[in-house]
Amino acid sequence: MSTATVHEHVDVPQPPQHGRPGGYLRRASILTGLVGGIGLALVVYWVGSLWLVPWGTTNAVTNLQVGADALWAATFAGWVIGFMAGIGAFAGPIRWALGRDLTHADAEYLAGRDQGKWRYWRYTTDHKVVGVQYLVMTLILFGVGGFLAMLIRTELGVTWAEVFSPDFYNSIIGTHGIVMIIAMIIAITGPLGNFVVPIMIGARDMAFPRLNALSFWLLFAAVPPLIASLFMGGIRDGWSVYQPLSAQAPTGGVGYQITIITFAISTGIASVNLITTTVKMRARGMTWNRVPVFAIGIIASSVMGLIWFPMFQYSQIMSLSDRMISTSFFNPLGGGSVWLYENLFWLLGHPEVYVIVVPATAALMEIVVVFMRKPLFSYKIAVAGFAGIVGISSIVWVHHMYMTGWAPSTNYPFMLSTEMISIPFGFLVLVLLGTIWRGKAWARLPMLAVYAVIWNKVVGGITGVYLSDTPVDQYMHGSMFVVAHFHFMLMGAGLFGAMAAISFWFPKMTARTFDERIGSIGFWTAFIGFQVTFFSMFVAGLQGQPRRVLQFDGAFNVSNWISTIGAYVIGIGMLIFLAAIIVSWRRGPAAPANPWGSKSLEWQVETPVPLENFPVLPVVTSDPYDYGVPDPYEVKEPAEAEDAKVGAP
Amino acid sequence: MTSTHEVIEPRSATTGEPVSVVARRNHLGVWLCIASDIAGTVSLLVAYSYLWSLNVNQAWAPPKNAFASPLPFWLITLGAVIGALLLWWGLRSLRAGRSSTMAAAAGLASVVLLATFVGQIVQLSTFPFGPPDGAYASATFWLCISAAFHLAMVVFLAMAILGRTRAGLVSTANPSHAHLVAIYTTWAAISIALGAIFATVMTTSPNDQSPPVGEFQQPPAAAASANPGS
Repeated sequence: MSTATVHEHVDVPQPPQHGRPGGYLRRASILTGLVGGIGLALVVYWVGSLWLVPWGTTNAVTNLQVGADALWAATFAGWVIGFMAGIGAFAGPIRWALGRDLTHADAEYLAGRDQGKWRYWRYTTDHKVVGVQYLVMTLILFGVGGFLAMLIRTELGVTWAEVFSPDFYNSIIGTHGIVMIIAMIIAITGPLGNFVVPIMIGARDMAFPRLNALSFWLLFAAVPPLIASLFMGGIRDGWSVYQPLSAQAPTGGVGYQITIITFAISTGIASVNLITTTVKMRARGMTWNRVPVFAIGIIASSVMGLIWFPMFQYSQIMSLSDRMISTSFFNPLGGGSVWLYENLFWLLGHPEVYVIVVPATAALMEIVVVFMRKPLFSYKIAVAGFAGIVGISSIVWVHHMYMTGWAPSTNYPFMLSTEMISIPFGFLVLVLLGTIWRGKAWARLPMLAVYAVIWNKVVGGITGVYLSDTPVDQYMHGSMFVVAHFHFMLMGAGLFGAMAAISFWFPKMTARTFDERIGSIGFWTAFIGFQVTFFSMFVAGLQGQPRRVLQFDGAFNVSNWISTIGAYVIGIGMLIFLAAIIVSWRRGPAAPANPWGSKSLEWQVETPVPLENFPVLPVVTSDPYDYGVPDPYEVKEPAEAEDAKVGAP
Repeated sequence: MTSTHEVIEPRSATTGEPVSVVARRNHLGVWLCIASDIAGTVSLLVAYSYLWSLNVNQAWAPPKNAFASPLPFWLITLGAVIGALLLWWGLRSLRAGRSSTMAAAAGLASVVLLATFVGQIVQLSTFPFGPPDGAYASATFWLCISAAFHLAMVVFLAMAILGRTRAGLVSTANPSHAHLVAIYTTWAAISIALGAIFATVMTTSPNDQSPPVGEFQQPPAAAASANPGS
């Protein structure tokens, strides 16, 4: 991919500079955010305890203290609003409304120029800072979710005793589920979508830099209510928090609902930003058939998130409303329906799988072309696969509800649509295999990880076809087989794909070389543990072990022992991989600009990437995957010089 | 002798790009926000129509069939529509070079939309039922809360456009923010109108045969097939 200089220096008239550049945001940081969030939460709690609790009395239907739920919901909402105000999220809209537009100096200050590491703790708009913030948040969420997974497997592996109470066990199941879902949704789109995509398409930043910071800090604010819920009775109904269980759950459920409502706004904003950036800010010459496939995958994922997340968000708003003000969306005695909840929930719940897997697969495509030194096998099939997944993902949700009794006559059409989605998904695997086919791989960690992820995808995909089949699902749907299947998809394809992608782009993101020796030990240890854990879980499921059940028949003991040992091995592997990230980030050798010899734009800029990414905006003159294809714009020696070189007459 | 008047396009102070370039991506961003907002509104409308069609436990209607009066819904819709039309009229004038008309239109729109917002709050607080009074009450309350949220947003936006027009930041050469606010206000009016249509047309449930919860019995045919020996 060639670049040429397009540089026009224009002196732009600046609006009046009010005070020093940055204004209020000079004083705002995570500290002011915490003060604002905790302060407002305390005030709301104090005022609410005087007003809401006496008002709330008892819900006649669910026999719950309405006021306590309302009090905690208001307190969590106070935390989110106070934190966002404290960190400076409202400064932009207020300035805009007052007509105090940003000057160039303001914009540079907000982007973190000359602020050192402190810029990572502020409302910084630079997409590279936001990408790194997302990366750290992703690692923290994986740490929390992984720790809870270890607790779950400890309980299930210790078959001779009860480690946790049933209620606490249910809480860690639900919290593990939703923490990991959030972590997986952001794992690639957050760190890499933000850091890599703008550079990859030749832009100086995201389309809406302030919204970019907003999306990250909303995510940050969304997490504490979720963690707090563990100490308030927990989320005892799984990550799907089905009704009517959710309505009868302890106050911890309110934390879940506030988290999802906030996270949905964060995801929507991030989706708007990523789509607009790729559609409107591509470099000159980057026609649609030259857009790197990773950017296409991010668009596909963002479109699904943008359209379907509000359904999930509104399901939680209605749930919260049922708890707080005794509405009857899901309460059959008041005219509500639990099936309404299930439909709204799964309208996002299933596309969310593709929100996770599609960017991971797109990242693998970027990796495989570089390490095979071959053009991508059928770029158009890859794009068709992404488009097909986006389209069909909207008509598959009912396969999660075969056994609920809702509209049984729709089971077979939805079985068909679910099996159909394996076709575009198969396209993506085909593109990966076609690119690998008869190639000679440069066997580095990112490339080897591609093989691992393809294996996981195939296992997860094939077992998914079984589960989409209504008759088979009648037997399987509540079993550990389902748990193993979706872990192969979400963790096997999503998380291991994210590990491959992080090891690939690590040098560009951190300006340090990733320690592949330690990283490989961690990756393969986790991979082996993963196979042990979940193949054994497939067996337990086929034997009939139900999911979400603390106590089970002794016939399942051996499978559970093996799964628990495998889970500990995963944990050890992940810790080693995390150590590789930390050690490399702190003390790794400085990374060259293009250690892999890639042709895509993000590797053509210097490392560390300067604030404005490119000294001059690039012009794209060839495809990003033209490995082995002569560059038509390459300057060639004159024919006479060639002749003289070979001694031709 | 002829002279040409070349309109020099202003540039963004932060990025140095022509404002039309920034406007194009702002347009796409606003349309995507609207797409997401549509999904949310559709969720509420689906909830409303689903519960209306099922009439679970015969509990759709509020006590004594005291449905909300339709007039306030349509007055609120009318207010939102007038607000949107005023902003479009102002934009048209702005493009014709009359920025003072844009400021007047934005000011009028702010007043109308603010009054509409207040009307929405009054309607919410004077319904002849409370949120716990059945599924109709629940769904109607949330349609109105959604309308109030949209109205609050457009009041803020219209007032900002008033201030920005007066400050010269929205101008004939750079009208894009006014255009974006007009687009969003139009969508807000549409979403409020959809809520009004649902809440006034779909009142009494078509399903008057739904069994009370706790007394559900299988239909005779299903019962016979489940117990072939009997």
